[in-house]
Amino acid sequence: MLRFSCLVFSRGAARRFASSFSSDTALPPNLRLPSNLVDPDRLKRPPPSEDSSLPLIRKCDAALPAHLSPVRTWVDTLESKDSEPLGLTELHPDVFAVTPRFKLIFSHASTKVRSEVRGGGRKPWNQKGSGRARHGSIRSPLWRGGGVSHGPRGPKSYYYMLPMKVRVQGLKVALSSKMAQQYLHVVDSLNIPTPDSQYLLELIRSRHWGESVLLVDVSEEFPENILQATENLKTVNLIPAIGLNVHSMLKHEAVILTLDTVRFLEEKLLWHDERYTFLYPLKLPYSDFP
Amino acid sequence: MSFPKKPGGKALDVLQNLPRITLTNLRPEPGARKNEKRRGRGQHGGNRSGRGHKGERQRGTRPRLGFEGGQTPFYLRIPKYGFNEGHSRRPQYQPLTLKRLQYLIDLGRVDPTQPIDLTQLINARGLTIQPLKRDYGVQLVDEGSDIFVAKINIEVQRATEGAIAAIERNGGVITNSFYDPISLGILIKPVPFFMRGQPIPKRMLPGEDMVPYYMSAENRGYLADPEEIQQARRALAQKYGYVLPDISKDELCHMLAMRKDVRQIFFGLSPGWVINMPEKKILKPTDQKLLQYYSS
Repeated sequence: MLRFSCLVFSRGAARRFASSFSSDTALPPNLRLPSNLVDPDRLKRPPPSEDSSLPLIRKCDAALPAHLSPVRTWVDTLESKDSEPLGLTELHPDVFAVTPRFKLIFSHASTKVRSEVRGGGRKPWNQKGSGRARHGSIRSPLWRGGGVSHGPRGPKSYYYMLPMKVRVQGLKVALSSKMAQQYLHVVDSLNIPTPDSQYLLELIRSRHWGESVLLVDVSEEFPENILQATENLKTVNLIPAIGLNVHSMLKHEAVILTLDTVRFLEEKLLWHDERYTFLYPLKLPYSDFP
Repeated sequence: MSFPKKPGGKALDVLQNLPRITLTNLRPEPGARKNEKRRGRGQHGGNRSGRGHKGERQRGTRPRLGFEGGQTPFYLRIPKYGFNEGHSRRPQYQPLTLKRLQYLIDLGRVDPTQPIDLTQLINARGLTIQPLKRDYGVQLVDEGSDIFVAKINIEVQRATEGAIAAIERNGGVITNSFYDPISLGILIKPVPFFMRGQPIPKRMLPGEDMVPYYMSAENRGYLADPEEIQQARRALAQKYGYVLPDISKDELCHMLAMRKDVRQIFFGLSPGWVINMPEKKILKPTDQKLLQYYSS
C-alpha cells in the first residue's frame, strides 16, 4: 500500500517537473499583457539574414572565440528621413546574466540622544517617599518627549562603488538586452542636414524608434546641428561614449550608437575580460598592460 | 563540439517576447538579497530577543572567556614555552614550485630569454609577496622537478637542493641573493617607488645569521666564490646523477651569466640614481661623497 502511494506521488512530481522544461520561449499561460504595449510597426524590420545584398561595413576588431558568432545589425543614416539602411555591421557577442543595480547616496535622518534634548538636568522628584517610579531626568528614553536611545545619528552616507568588472558586465548586459529587444540601432555618424528639432522627431517617428532616444558618440564634440536640435528636446538626449551608463540606457527607449562608438565600446569592454589584476592604482603609469 | 553556441543563449530569445526592460521592471535575482536579522521585533525576533531565559545569559553579565568558575583555568595551568617567541622577527619566504614556474613559462607570462627576477615573477602575476608581513622574498621548491624543462637564469632568495639540481640539469643558472625589506618593497612595485622621486637605495647585506647561508657554494649564494660554485655544481651533478651541461658553449651564455652587483636592486640601474617617470629621464649624482657612499 505504501509502495503504491509512493509510485503515484513520484509520477505526479515527474509530470510537474517535466512541464517546467516543456518549452523555453513560451510565456506562462496566466500572464496577461495589455494589447497596446508593443508598437507593431517597430518590429516590422527583422534582423538582417545571412544572404542580404548590403555591404558589410565593419567587421569585429577583436578576436572572437571559436564557439561564438558575431551579431549582425543594420547601419542607418540620419541624413534623410526615409532612406534604406546603408549596410551591415558585426557586433561582438555579449555575455548575459545579472540584473543591474545602482549607486545610492545620502540620508539625512538624525535624532537627538537624551543628552541633547533640551532640559532634563534636574531630578523630577525624590528617589524615595513619593510613591511613584524612580526617575533621574525628565528626558530619559522612557519619558514622553525624551531622547531616542539608539536612533539614526547625523547624516549618514550610503555611497558604495560596485567592483569594476561588475560595472563592465552591467554595461554589456544592458547593451545586449537592448540589442535582443531591438531597441539598439547603429548609425554611421550623427550629422543632420538641418538644426531643426522637428526634423529629428519626424525621423524618429517614421523609423519607429520609440518615444525617447539616447544618441551616443565617441568624442565630446558633437556636430552643431545635432546639438541645436536636441537642446530643447526633453526626450532626445546626447552623451559621449565615456558617459554611457545603465541608468540612461534603461530610461531611454532606444539607444543609437555610431560606428566609432561601437568600436570604442567593444575595445574598452572586452579589455576587462583578459587583463591581469592591478598591482597598484590605475592612475600610476603601466607600461606592459596588453 | 559541432554546434556553435548562439551568443547570449536562450535568455536573449525569451527577452524578445517579453516587455521592454525599464527602470521599473528590475528585480534582484531570487536569493540575492537576504533580509537582515532584527532583534526585538515581531514574533521571532522579539520576546526574549535570542538571549535565553533569565540568568547571566539574558542579563549579559557572563564572566570573561576562559574563566572556569574560580578553578585555575586551562590557559594558566599550562606553563609558558617559547613556541611563537620572536615569530614577528622570523623571515618568511613565499614558496614557488617548479611546476608553477614551468606553467608560467609555458603560457608565455615569464620570458625565459631574459634573467628571471622577483619583479618579473610579480609582473607575470605568478605569486604575491607581502614585505610588510615579514616576507623576505621567494623560495624555490622542488615539487615539479620531474616535469621541469626550461633553461633559465633565475634569482631567488632560498632554494632547496632538489630545485637547484633540476634547474642546473636543464642548463640553467640559479642564484640566491638577499634583499632587505625596503629593497624588497621597491623590487616588487618599482613604478610606485619611481613616482616617489627618491634615489634608488643600495641593497643592504644580510644579517649575521644569514651570511653563512649566502656565502656557501652549496646554496649558490651570491656572496660565494665562483670557483667553489663550479665545484658544487659538479658535486651536485654527481649526487643526483645527471650530466652537467656546459654553459659557456651556449648561445644565451651572456644572458645566463648576467648577475646583479651586491648593492644593486635592478639590472641596469645603480643605487643613487633618480628616475623621472613623467619626463622619462634618469638623474645621476655627481658629488664625490655621494658617489663614494653609493659605490661602497
